[in-house]
Amino acid sequence: MKKLYLTILIFLLGSYMITAQDLLTGTVTDAENGDPIPGVSIKVVNTTNGATTDLDGNYSIRVGSDAQLQFSFIGYKTQTIPVNGRSQINIQLQVDVETLSEVVVVGYGTVRKSDLTGSVASVKSEELVKVPAANPVQALQGKVSGLQVSNTSGDPGSEPVVRLRGIGTLNDNNPLYVVDGVILNGGINFLNPNDIESVEVLKDASATAIYGSRGSNGVILITTKQGEKGTVRVNFSAEQSWESIANKIGVMNGREFATYVNEFAPGTYNNLDVLPNVDYQDLIFEDLAPINNYNASVSSASEKSDYYFSLGYFNQDGILPKSDFERITAKLNNNYKVGKSFKMGLNLSLASTTKSNAPGVITTALRAFPIDEPFTTDSLGNEVFAEVRGSANPLAAIEYQNSKTTRQEAVSNLYAEFSFLDGFSFKTSFQFNGSLSKTKSFTPEFFVAPLQQNETSDISQSYSDFYQLIFENILSYNKEFNGIHRINAVAGYTTQQTRSEFLNGSAQNLLREEEEFWYINAGDGDPLLQNVSNNASETAIVSILARVNYSLMDKYLFTATYRRDGSSKFGANNRYGVFPSFALGWNLSEESFFPQTNFVENIKLRASWGIVGNEKIPANNQYSTIGTGQGAVFGENETLNPGASFASAGNPNLQWEEQVQYDFGINGEFLNNRLVIELDYYNKTTNDILVNLTPLGYTGIGAFQQIRYNVANVENKGFEFNTSWKDQIGNVNYSLNVLGSFIKNEVLDLGEGFGADSVIIGGDLGNGQRVARTVVGFPVGFFYGYEVQGVFQNSEQLNQFPSLSAQGIGDFIYRDVNNDGVLNAEDRTVIGNSIPDLTFGFGGSVGWKGISLSADFQGQTGVDVYNGKQALRFSILNYEDKFLDRWTGEGTSDTDPRATQGGVNFSPSDYFVEDASYLRLRTLTLGYNFPQNLISKIKASQVRIYVRGTNLITWTKYTGYSPDIGTGNPLDGVIDLGRYPVTKTYSVGLNVNF
Amino acid sequence: MRYLNISICILLFFLTFSCNEDFLEKPPLSQTTEGLFPATANDALLATNGAYNSLRQWNLNAGGFPLLDIMTDQVTKGSSAGDGAATAVFEDFTFDAFDPAMERWYATLYQGIRKSNLVILEVPKITMDEELRTRYVAEARFLRAYFYSILVRAFGDAVLVLEINPPLDLTRTDAQIIWEDVIIPDLEFAVENLPEKSDYAAEDLGRVTRGGAKALLARLYLYLGDFPLAQQYSEEVINSGQYSLEPDFEDAFNVESEGGVESVWEVPALPFGFGDGGNQYANTWGVRGTPNRGWGFGRPAYPWIIEMQNNEDPRLDASVIFLGEVLDGIEILGDDATTDTTRVDGQIVEIECYNQKVWTPGTTAQESFGHNQRIIRYADVLLMAAEAANENGSPNVALNYLNQVRARARAGNTDILPDITATDQATLRLLIEDERNYELAFEGLRYWDLVRTDRASTILGPLGFVEGKHELFPIPQSEIDISQRRITQNPNYE
Repeated sequence: MKKLYLTILIFLLGSYMITAQDLLTGTVTDAENGDPIPGVSIKVVNTTNGATTDLDGNYSIRVGSDAQLQFSFIGYKTQTIPVNGRSQINIQLQVDVETLSEVVVVGYGTVRKSDLTGSVASVKSEELVKVPAANPVQALQGKVSGLQVSNTSGDPGSEPVVRLRGIGTLNDNNPLYVVDGVILNGGINFLNPNDIESVEVLKDASATAIYGSRGSNGVILITTKQGEKGTVRVNFSAEQSWESIANKIGVMNGREFATYVNEFAPGTYNNLDVLPNVDYQDLIFEDLAPINNYNASVSSASEKSDYYFSLGYFNQDGILPKSDFERITAKLNNNYKVGKSFKMGLNLSLASTTKSNAPGVITTALRAFPIDEPFTTDSLGNEVFAEVRGSANPLAAIEYQNSKTTRQEAVSNLYAEFSFLDGFSFKTSFQFNGSLSKTKSFTPEFFVAPLQQNETSDISQSYSDFYQLIFENILSYNKEFNGIHRINAVAGYTTQQTRSEFLNGSAQNLLREEEEFWYINAGDGDPLLQNVSNNASETAIVSILARVNYSLMDKYLFTATYRRDGSSKFGANNRYGVFPSFALGWNLSEESFFPQTNFVENIKLRASWGIVGNEKIPANNQYSTIGTGQGAVFGENETLNPGASFASAGNPNLQWEEQVQYDFGINGEFLNNRLVIELDYYNKTTNDILVNLTPLGYTGIGAFQQIRYNVANVENKGFEFNTSWKDQIGNVNYSLNVLGSFIKNEVLDLGEGFGADSVIIGGDLGNGQRVARTVVGFPVGFFYGYEVQGVFQNSEQLNQFPSLSAQGIGDFIYRDVNNDGVLNAEDRTVIGNSIPDLTFGFGGSVGWKGISLSADFQGQTGVDVYNGKQALRFSILNYEDKFLDRWTGEGTSDTDPRATQGGVNFSPSDYFVEDASYLRLRTLTLGYNFPQNLISKIKASQVRIYVRGTNLITWTKYTGYSPDIGTGNPLDGVIDLGRYPVTKTYSVGLNVNF
Repeated sequence: MRYLNISICILLFFLTFSCNEDFLEKPPLSQTTEGLFPATANDALLATNGAYNSLRQWNLNAGGFPLLDIMTDQVTKGSSAGDGAATAVFEDFTFDAFDPAMERWYATLYQGIRKSNLVILEVPKITMDEELRTRYVAEARFLRAYFYSILVRAFGDAVLVLEINPPLDLTRTDAQIIWEDVIIPDLEFAVENLPEKSDYAAEDLGRVTRGGAKALLARLYLYLGDFPLAQQYSEEVINSGQYSLEPDFEDAFNVESEGGVESVWEVPALPFGFGDGGNQYANTWGVRGTPNRGWGFGRPAYPWIIEMQNNEDPRLDASVIFLGEVLDGIEILGDDATTDTTRVDGQIVEIECYNQKVWTPGTTAQESFGHNQRIIRYADVLLMAAEAANENGSPNVALNYLNQVRARARAGNTDILPDITATDQATLRLLIEDERNYELAFEGLRYWDLVRTDRASTILGPLGFVEGKHELFPIPQSEIDISQRRITQNPNYE
């Protein structure tokens, strides 16, 4: 028996000796910089043998001379090398750009995309410079499912309205912007899109809860460009664009207007043939207004440091005179390594903007009598502005408008990071951002008409400054154990304080009217004509935060986050809020039972739950204040005696809004990564929404005064999809993508225990008519008014249907909604919705050799706009051409009422609600990359020229300038009172890299 | 070395945790907060002036518009059809509980009450000159009574608030109790403790006075139908020697006579924005168009003009601005967008014209903000005394007071406006009502005159007034909703 064992042993040893005779050694280095790579896994193919490299990248292993070795390491391309009898093999591993780029920036760190459990959308730099706008957010329109970007105005430099996953609160719905880790108080108008590396949109609670009390509107993380290893890179880009109004609003011409007026005021205009016909839209808008955009950057990186430096210049004239916007930006990002474990750096953004504040002449032009000429001659024979009836002479309004806002802004992040033990690092950073803004407005003395005059010249100046200081300490732990467990954890403590102050002053009767005299000291010094005001506010937040991201065998993923915020905005009783989240992910395709096919590359299932908050209310809402400035006039020589009493009314019991959110998602990659699909379903319910409500009148806080309460609950649920396809046919590569988001918004509660029938009425048209409502069971800010059923054709109909007392034949038949035979305010009902059911984007690109063509479309459906500019009639104003189809006698129109100056037919009704669904060709770009052999002569690495059209075509039924108008206040619905139009733009550009 | 580094890091990390609550205390800057004011003698003055501030609030006048006048036969809504649409429902009595002007009016009255309560409750706690302190409280009680008197006349039973932060479950208190427990005692306290007009320092002209309190009591006792007390208080004012009629009717409300002999109580204002002492009351009525003096809300009614013309009453010309008229060197051209003369079936029913009682000279629209709204004129006191005396069976006493007003009105022209001689109580009652109609037009008095004398349905019925409903205005629906119907609606508004 013993012999047998021995024989077997010898046999086994022998076989071992035969296959593993030689000791193989070598070093693994980085192909790019030659650095040794520790921890590289070396496997003998088809065996269980293996080794790893040491700290200096060296390895040794016994292998047979005909064996094959596989070298693999995260972030590098795996290589398989035949030994071929060698005893030393040095390997250079290539960086796997694809895997490395699959790192996603999340709050306070990064995470591998495959480990991600939250709903996060990434947009890369090239997408962000596709739109000729100063604000990078404009480029996100139609690029992220669930993100709605709309415009309150096309005014150059205006900030878009951004809504992530619907309307979650009844106050400020703007998402939180974080630039290179700096939490901002407002938007990112200061940021040059060319400096952005990537934008990550954090959508679900798993991703946003790390931002706690500020996460509930979603978080937009922006990472700016850093120096990259290699030679110094120089980039220059120039773009010249021209913008024009996309469409005019149809209004009556002179003859149509006079005919219409004659119908309700017979004999007003007797000879229609001699009346002038002026198109004021043509007179105020400039065609092909230029936009210039120049950018230059230099970047590089070495072992010990890296930098990215850029300068940018953007200038947009705007299609209205005196609405131009100019911005100069500078960006400096640099990082230094000190020793092996210490790193520090600075990210700095500087911006200086000058904005001419556009005169509000859009509505003026739409209302102006088309029969009134803008100019006339005075008694001396000079051409002067004429009175234009309707509202004012728009050209005079432009002439006398002089208002400019300049703004300087800096955002900086200074950090030091120290790595210790194995996988730990501690980072401390001071983040400062501040801005200084000045507005100067001067109006000369002028007289155009009794209602358009300025009796004395006046000047006003307003200065405001803001700063925010964040002190942040983050401990991170990143470690992988045996390739099975991977832990990515952060814990931190941050404090933040903000302060803002303004100082306004004004004076009248300037000594001279030239610009050199546009100062308060040039005023007449009359203290009664001078005004000064000054105030300030401060806020502070203290937070503790933590996140653990755990991955088991790359299959099972778990994330937990925690944040505790304390805020000065809330009273001592409710000062702290806790915001947890949990998420699970399952990389299904990593399972052994999952069929290995080419069809499915990767499937991941995600689920998350969490609570996030909102604290975006003014600093002092908890306090009831006593204010001065409530004087009374007394005395034989009447003088204002100072007085003080109650000012704003506060609520000491205020606390956070809390949003409970869950999200289920699937990420899939199919057909060799050519097809990528991401689907999400979410449900978020915001409770205790901070909303200003009118309390009982007898509390005596005064008319129009409101108190903030935590009362309302709103639910948003929806489905999002994002799919893309990328492939190549011969020399032609192409890509397609489609994304969209369905949303259902519903108010669940509006102050139970506060008032049973609470209704929030908004949407003031400016004449006391309020067309928007927010009530339980409906979406936020729906339109409310009468339903038009037809037009009273004759007296029989007038007797047959209930009517309002002022109504007669030719007026609207409003529906008696409650069927009580009486028409009154109770018959008003839901007549429109201002939250789109579906927002979507799709696009594609084709490339062949150096030529590329791309098109992006976006749009929305199931949304309405209240055409308030048509509904407002203070006096006789020009009419939109819709009224040309008016009722003029029995049997004529059953949709448009008789000619009237104003009155009952202009009551809030669905006649003024218009479908704002649209599909827009957002961008169409044709580009050409010059071939390498040509450009190498000028030592360039890339030279690209392109032509592009933006907003070239919009398909919509909406009659205004643009259907994608948004609203800052969701309680108002979306009302068009004559917005600065969104334009269509033609651009040519050049991009050179050295 | 390595461990030292780690220790420093951990230490730093925890050091930063040692934040204190002070970091999160950020009270408002530039303002103090409730509970800390008024604390000093100067605060007491500021708080008292703060209560007066409510008198210039635009919304205090029926939510901003001259609705009490528009609802009468003296005034139509004015401006063009599309403009000021919110006032149209008051012309034909179709307003309802959702009316925003009513809501503003109601809320602003309570705001005045709250500011008055602040003085009444907190000033007595301050250590300061006792006489002055008592005067401040008396001023605040006068103002509180004034605000409550409007509230109760407009809305009937009202929520009674005598504290700064009332509980949120209050219900309406019987109007009678508010009259007896608050309004009358407040005004009696004011009569007791306020100086006469002449006893104030020159720089305090415009503060409420003993005479003002008595005149207001007379007005309210007339409303309550207590004619002996109405006569007593109005005669006390007449006999105080503090007041007399301006020789010229037009001087009773123009700029020159501000704070003058006929002014028993007015609200001084400066020609600036509200914050700088302005009052938009006159601007709201003011001439539209050329010259631009305001909005032209509330237009003298054509039938009233005709009646005045038939009487050859010179007060017409001093009360109404007609197009083409030249005032203080300014030609009144009016508004192009409104119809100059409106005819129905060939008959003139309305002409573009404006309330001259709020006219201000000067070159800018802003000047109209300096108009001092007259709340109680001596002419009103005389007519109140006449009315009360007639009801108390003293027609000759009544005629004496009534004819003083007519004598001034006729301005020496003996062909017009003869002295009234009728002594029959019912006849004289109507003649006094007419005299108030002519003398006090557009001054916000006629509506309540007609309501308190049960004449509203007769005179305003054709305009839409419904008896048993429109004597009171609707409680704002929001108040009913928010209170979950603890606060009830007035009859016939639901």
